[in-house]
Amino acid sequence: MSHEDYKEMIPAHALSALDWTDDRALTDHVAQCVECRQELNEWQQTAAAVALSASPAEPSLLVRERILTQIRSERDESITPKIVPIKPLQKNIWSSFGSLGAVAAAVLFVFLLVYVFLLWRENRAIRQEVETLRQANQKVQEDLKWARLLQTPGSKLMELNGTPAAPGASAKLAYDQSGHAMVMMNGLPTPPAGKEYQLWFIVADKPPMRGKTFSTDSHGKGMMEDQLPDVALKSAAFAVTLEPQGGSASPTMPMYLRS
Amino acid sequence: MQPEQAQISDVELLAAIARKDETALAELYDRYRVILFGLLIRILTSREEAEDVLQEVFLQVWRRAADFDEQRGRPFTWLVTLARSRGIDRLRSLAAKERVALAGAKEPAEQVSDAVADALASERRTLVTKALAQLPEEQKSPLILAYFDGLTQSEIAAKLGAPLGTVKTRMRAGLMKLREALSNQSASFGF
Repeated sequence: MSHEDYKEMIPAHALSALDWTDDRALTDHVAQCVECRQELNEWQQTAAAVALSASPAEPSLLVRERILTQIRSERDESITPKIVPIKPLQKNIWSSFGSLGAVAAAVLFVFLLVYVFLLWRENRAIRQEVETLRQANQKVQEDLKWARLLQTPGSKLMELNGTPAAPGASAKLAYDQSGHAMVMMNGLPTPPAGKEYQLWFIVADKPPMRGKTFSTDSHGKGMMEDQLPDVALKSAAFAVTLEPQGGSASPTMPMYLRS
Repeated sequence: MQPEQAQISDVELLAAIARKDETALAELYDRYRVILFGLLIRILTSREEAEDVLQEVFLQVWRRAADFDEQRGRPFTWLVTLARSRGIDRLRSLAAKERVALAGAKEPAEQVSDAVADALASERRTLVTKALAQLPEEQKSPLILAYFDGLTQSEIAAKLGAPLGTVKTRMRAGLMKLREALSNQSASFGF
């Protein structure tokens, strides 16, 4: 919009008749343009003269009084130092109610704290119970599997004994004709960090064949399932060694169990 | 009445009000209450609302007298602009229903005393009234609707059923004619 466009809008602006967008634009322009500002002042004087066309009227005397009373009040407020006296604490029925309310709130708060603590403790006990049941269920499932494997016609059961590295350890290994095997370990030492146990199938005239790795619980117990190589089905020995995490291609450490 | 002397006095009064001179405010009120109250009744069509706004206007004068800048206009213009602005704001804040009710119960302006009436029947007022009366109706209507009813150009166009461009042209032309009519007397009558 050009300067001339703005100048054309000034008379309407003096009458406050511009629509919002134009009014905003012209106000911004006038703030920067001395010539338009001067022109607006002149147009505002013309517009103000229109007020004289209204019929004169006398307001009630009360208006004058109200104005003067109000300005005296404002003036007094401005010169009166706003010092708020410290009032002595007074007990009344309402403050007593307030105190009672505070005590009740405190009691309720403590009650809630205790209640939350009890809920937390109960929740923890339930979680522990659930974990115990889960482990028991797992054990039952393993025992069922073990029993089914042993009942399978043609299945074989082998015992593994602890070596001097783990004299208190023992294990049982069962497998069926398809080579599906299960091993139940007991008394194995807890493997150090970064190590785990690995099963080996040993067949005459062949290097040991690797089986799966496994870990034990805090009591040295463990269970695993594996698949025997075909060459190990007829005649094989079994051993368990401690190997680096993930297992090894061939045994690298002493045996802990052997059949 | 001596308009030129009064003009100077008005500036001095405002300066005194800015210094929180209560007497100066009372004097300014006595000088302009009739004109401003007449203007507010014309806008609000209610004595009660007009008196309320008149009180607000003079309280605003009391608080903002220091803002008055003689370079930007005369005290009369400043006061009228304040009063009209407050009046239009009040008018817009009233609900449409209330406005209708107010219009229906329009109260006639209280008759002013003879002395005041004489003073107001000055050449200034006569001149403005005459200048407005001489405007063609199509130019006067937009001016009146904008000034006393606070309507914007778009609202006026809708109300009159005229194109917006036409309303703009007529409004500008009307105000220019009014300005020309008053310009010859500006030095004498304080426009």
